[in-house]
Amino acid sequence: MTRVTTTVIEARLITEEDWIGASEICRLCRLELAAVLELAELGIVNPRQVGGAWQLPTTALPRLRIVGRLMRDLGVNVSGAALAVELLETQRALERRIRDLETLR
Amino acid sequence: MEYRDYYKVLGVERTATADQVKTAYRRLARKYHPDVSKEKDAEEHFKQVQEAYEVLKDPEKRAAYDQLGANWKQGEQFRPPPDWGSGFEFAGGEGPQRRARRGRARAAPEPEAAEDYSDFFSSLFGGGSPFAGSAGMGERSGNDHHARVDIELEEAYRGTTRTLELRRPEVKPDGTVTLGTHTVRVTIPAGVTEGQLIRLAGQGGPSLGGGAAGDLYLEAHILPNKLYQLDGRDVTLTFPVAPWEAALGASVNMPTLGGEVAMTIPANSQSGQKLRLRGRGLPGSPPGDQYVQLKVVLPSAATPAAKELYAEMRSKLDFDPRADFAR
Repeated sequence: MTRVTTTVIEARLITEEDWIGASEICRLCRLELAAVLELAELGIVNPRQVGGAWQLPTTALPRLRIVGRLMRDLGVNVSGAALAVELLETQRALERRIRDLETLR
Repeated sequence: MEYRDYYKVLGVERTATADQVKTAYRRLARKYHPDVSKEKDAEEHFKQVQEAYEVLKDPEKRAAYDQLGANWKQGEQFRPPPDWGSGFEFAGGEGPQRRARRGRARAAPEPEAAEDYSDFFSSLFGGGSPFAGSAGMGERSGNDHHARVDIELEEAYRGTTRTLELRRPEVKPDGTVTLGTHTVRVTIPAGVTEGQLIRLAGQGGPSLGGGAAGDLYLEAHILPNKLYQLDGRDVTLTFPVAPWEAALGASVNMPTLGGEVAMTIPANSQSGQKLRLRGRGLPGSPPGDQYVQLKVVLPSAATPAAKELYAEMRSKLDFDPRADFAR
């Protein structure tokens, strides 16, 4: 059986000022805390400690989700996934740049 | 429903060893992974590969699947046999959680949405089947805490609304779990930019353990625009001008996301030069700017009059466009 309900909700834009608890980000990205801390050591994310608890910028969610997927699906380790996610971001930025330059001609 | 030939999907023989199955999976997963692949239909391919591996890597599921016989063809109409699953004793399988904790990889369990699987898989190995408690389906709980939303640039400027259909597990009074559809109408504030996250508090899928619903995150993607290129909150518009507009200066009507504004092109402007309209990009604090990149467009010398004008410039102007070249 399918139940259908409609709700109207106001969305909020996430900015650099939004922080999220490490356990919540681990749940959302399906990563273990040790992996997230290793990613911090590698400079992929910049966590902070508030009252002994780790927090991360919410804006880190998309790249951490990709890291989690690469680790699960392709069997790469944390540093391999970190390297891949940085290269992917560079590649996407270059692709955007090329697309922009092509339209400027 | 259609029969799925999992051996064909992974490109291995029915006699393939567990190692051969794993190797085939890893090669195809690398080829079709949606995060890295440039292949056409990568995501669909990847789901099929994952589903095939889910079955063929598990000795119990593989044995049960093999019992269906080798005569089925990919895509053939199929119905599970009435005695499906009988004769198997299930150890409960190795749940994804335990599997993930073993070894170096530290990615936590993968609760993809059940709808990522084909009907064929779900009918054989999904909820209600003898396999429901084993690895895979049993611990999957829906994936409704992250979604992508495509937005036109004009909508990003003004703000917009989207209607989303969220499927989330609901526990019925008799204790069984079903997927219910929940429609939400989301108002997205003005100023959302490429890759930005949008939070819908309390709209994420609830945990099956009865925990509070998490937040739902939407990841915004701004669709390419015919006029503007977007960089953060700044937009760039390529603006064609006539040679005399660039040379002598001009007053023009400049399109912006908020509507046309009057703008002065300064005298002695060059093609490629950028002018800035402060605060005319996407709203925010601070709002983005609009950059106007001038592009001088030459009238074609198609008429005698035009030819005469160009010839006159050639004879009267002391101009070397290649003065910067090393001699």
